[in-house]
Amino acid sequence: MPDTHQAITDIDLHTYSNLFSSYTELRLQENRSQQIALLNGEVFSNTKNSGKGVSARVYAQGVWGFASEPKLTSDAIHNTIEAATRNARFMAARAGREDAALPVIRASLNSDFTTDKPRINQQELLAFLKKIDAHITRSYSDLTSRTVVLQCLDMEKKFYNSEGSSGHNITTRTLIRVSLAANNSDGEPIELRHAFGGLGQFEDVFENPEELYPEIEELYQHLCNKKSAVIAVSGYHDVIFDTDLAGILAHEAIGHTTEADLVRAGSVAGDYLGQQVAPEMVTLVDFANTLAGETLPVPVYMDDEGVESKDTVIIDKGILKRFMHNKETAEYFETAPTGNARAYEFSDEPLVRMRNTAILPGTDKIADMIASIEDGYYLMRPSNGQADTTSEFMFGVQLGYEIKHGKLSHAITDTTISGVAFDMLKEITMISDQMTWSCAGMCGKKQLIPVGLGGPAIKTKVYIGGQ
Amino acid sequence: MSREKLARACLHRLTNAGFDKAQCAVTDSETHELSAEAGSLNLLRTNFDTEIRLLGIADHKRASISINGADDAAIDAGIQDLLNLVRGSEPDEAYDIAPGQAPESFSCGPSEPDYDSMYDRIDEILEYTRATYPVINMRSAGATFNRSQTRFLNSNGVDFESDMSRYDVGIGFASKEGAATSSMMGTGYSAFDLNEQVKDCAYIDELFRQSTEQIKTKPVPAKFLGEMIITPHCLHSFIGFLLGKIVDYDLISGTSIYKDKLNQQVASEKLSIHSRPVSANTVGGYFVTSDGFKAEDVTILDAGVLKSYQLSLYGANKTGLSRAVNSGGCYFVDPGDTSLDEIIKGTKQGVLIGRFSGGRPNDRGDFSGVAKNSYYVEDGKIQYPISETMVSGNLIDLLANVEAVSSELIHFGRSASPWVKVSGITVS
Repeated sequence: MPDTHQAITDIDLHTYSNLFSSYTELRLQENRSQQIALLNGEVFSNTKNSGKGVSARVYAQGVWGFASEPKLTSDAIHNTIEAATRNARFMAARAGREDAALPVIRASLNSDFTTDKPRINQQELLAFLKKIDAHITRSYSDLTSRTVVLQCLDMEKKFYNSEGSSGHNITTRTLIRVSLAANNSDGEPIELRHAFGGLGQFEDVFENPEELYPEIEELYQHLCNKKSAVIAVSGYHDVIFDTDLAGILAHEAIGHTTEADLVRAGSVAGDYLGQQVAPEMVTLVDFANTLAGETLPVPVYMDDEGVESKDTVIIDKGILKRFMHNKETAEYFETAPTGNARAYEFSDEPLVRMRNTAILPGTDKIADMIASIEDGYYLMRPSNGQADTTSEFMFGVQLGYEIKHGKLSHAITDTTISGVAFDMLKEITMISDQMTWSCAGMCGKKQLIPVGLGGPAIKTKVYIGGQ
Repeated sequence: MSREKLARACLHRLTNAGFDKAQCAVTDSETHELSAEAGSLNLLRTNFDTEIRLLGIADHKRASISINGADDAAIDAGIQDLLNLVRGSEPDEAYDIAPGQAPESFSCGPSEPDYDSMYDRIDEILEYTRATYPVINMRSAGATFNRSQTRFLNSNGVDFESDMSRYDVGIGFASKEGAATSSMMGTGYSAFDLNEQVKDCAYIDELFRQSTEQIKTKPVPAKFLGEMIITPHCLHSFIGFLLGKIVDYDLISGTSIYKDKLNQQVASEKLSIHSRPVSANTVGGYFVTSDGFKAEDVTILDAGVLKSYQLSLYGANKTGLSRAVNSGGCYFVDPGDTSLDEIIKGTKQGVLIGRFSGGRPNDRGDFSGVAKNSYYVEDGKIQYPISETMVSGNLIDLLANVEAVSSELIHFGRSASPWVKVSGITVS
């Protein structure tokens, strides 16, 4: 019998359990992605990628063996389990500990975010993007450059482990990224970018290009304001983080410091567990998949260790309550895993990763928050961000405004903000009553992984770079 | 099926499918990673993959796909997918593939991983830090053997074969004493063998020592306009703006501040930068460009004069400028003639920056960010490690305001950098 390639759906992973000699995870995965990029109306990039394969991870005496192959065949699955077992034995022979164990947990969960609608073809996708591009050209004559980029990512995973956990999950994401560039009053280039879309395949996320026009108009108006932007005054300032920035704040500044592998590596958050680290109005959660009945941008129902994903309440009414765990860190910290172990590609091992991280809304109105600041900044859109074990964080800001005497004033040029998260948290004095989610986040930590970022607007104090 | 047979079969199917021009690369890759987390060796990972990258042009429309581990049916489906992408796209006369060149084979690096050496080197660095720097938390440490074997063919007769391998070593660490923690630091290097101890490569032992004293930091005394000594480990954060603005996207869109600057002075004459993917001294380079040309080394910046853009064949056709002779990367910055000691002694007031955590600079090159793993320098002496310190300026001015380049050079395998001192930086 030839050893033929099979579809992920058709492979029964239970039949390989006789090859398991100790704790073993078996995962089939395919990542399918597509990108069409228009640069000034012309097709700059037109690509599709598919990466699929089988991986196995084996735990023996406190160490791991991992292996992967790019084929979905019976032989490949056999070989992969054997290679991972061999790797675990190599490690165990040299670095094994007899007392090591992992928590035993069993879950069985499936999810599928592919569309039920007929798939649209390449010509229709391109026509959709061209319509957006034509609208931009028609509406805004003073742009020096524009890009409209479609990015689609489907991640399909089938999982089985030696404890009997199993699942078949397909998570999808579709984004259209728009960037507009113009020259400022000195003839120097300025740019603004925004990502539309989120969870789901194209057919479920976008219906009509015209639905994007109001937000593109808003982006353009901000770009116009940025033409006469002033440089922020460097120093420690009162600021309001708009919802987009509050999301990256939750993820970068606090979230990363409370990933248990980083806590184990010396993150300062390790010293604060159980302590009041923020005012009582602050509650920060890494949500698994759902909030108030709504499916979140990156829904994870079962993680890549076969653990049911549950919400992790990191800060509850100002008190640092929990860290995010995989099985190994949960064992080390003598607590339960939280379902945060996630891998990006079939050839990646699961790491402690966030899912949908947000500070919960408060009771304040944004207008009141702005009115409360005599001299400060309203920071709206991030460009990038980084965290540190010290909890010192940094975000790039591509869009922000001065606040003068309780009112929005000039736009500011691109800048960087920084602070110490556990100091900044204490300075939070107002939280808005509305929150939004962004699904465009891609977090890098050895591997990339899609993440959801959310939040209300927050008033606090940070350092701003500038003159 | 052998790589050659698979690549030839794919190219044959592409031309039969009706593409006017076609390109195919089949790469067998293997990765063997031995790594430690939280100070203990705990993972051996072996990955094998076969990637098929196909590019087709028909009626001046272009598309590309990548599939892996494919059987005949999947390759046929992939080619059909490629046809659909091309048919649904739009024509551009600038799309093209490389012309025929003499077939050639390239190779470098060992053919097999040495697990014992990988294990021993990582075990050794863990032991060394435990014994010498007990306050260091080694968050991660790993040695990875990477090998990729590629057959690259196109319908103009290009036929290149490469077999490349290397070891990559990476470490991430921070120091902690009581409740005080240093900033995270990470570095790495590539090598053809693991003969040298990890601590003796890429300045790592000194980075360990610095981390232990960076537990106790304080802010700079006051905001000032001063100098910045950029360490080799973060030089790319400051030259990356220039290198990122001389590529297809920025030059085609016309937004690059370096458009029309070829052969002009764009930086200090103290600064020379080369892209050397094929040099014998480069570990982790490449021999064939992504559009099918035999790669060559090139000088990007010669004594501050911009000598080459980094344009692909498509970028060159779109802009009417010359195609770059490689696909970028593997940047080597020439050393200067001043020792690091002398550079520090000549600094009135500034910072020695070990890591830059900054926002994406705007198109004008304005930047600001946090100086991590860094020191305050005054009156020719390193004073103390700093925290909560922001540095800001303009990257175009920064490259023009190079005061000194060190005679010492740190090699990372895929690149090499000296210490570079610049002026006109706002520190707050």
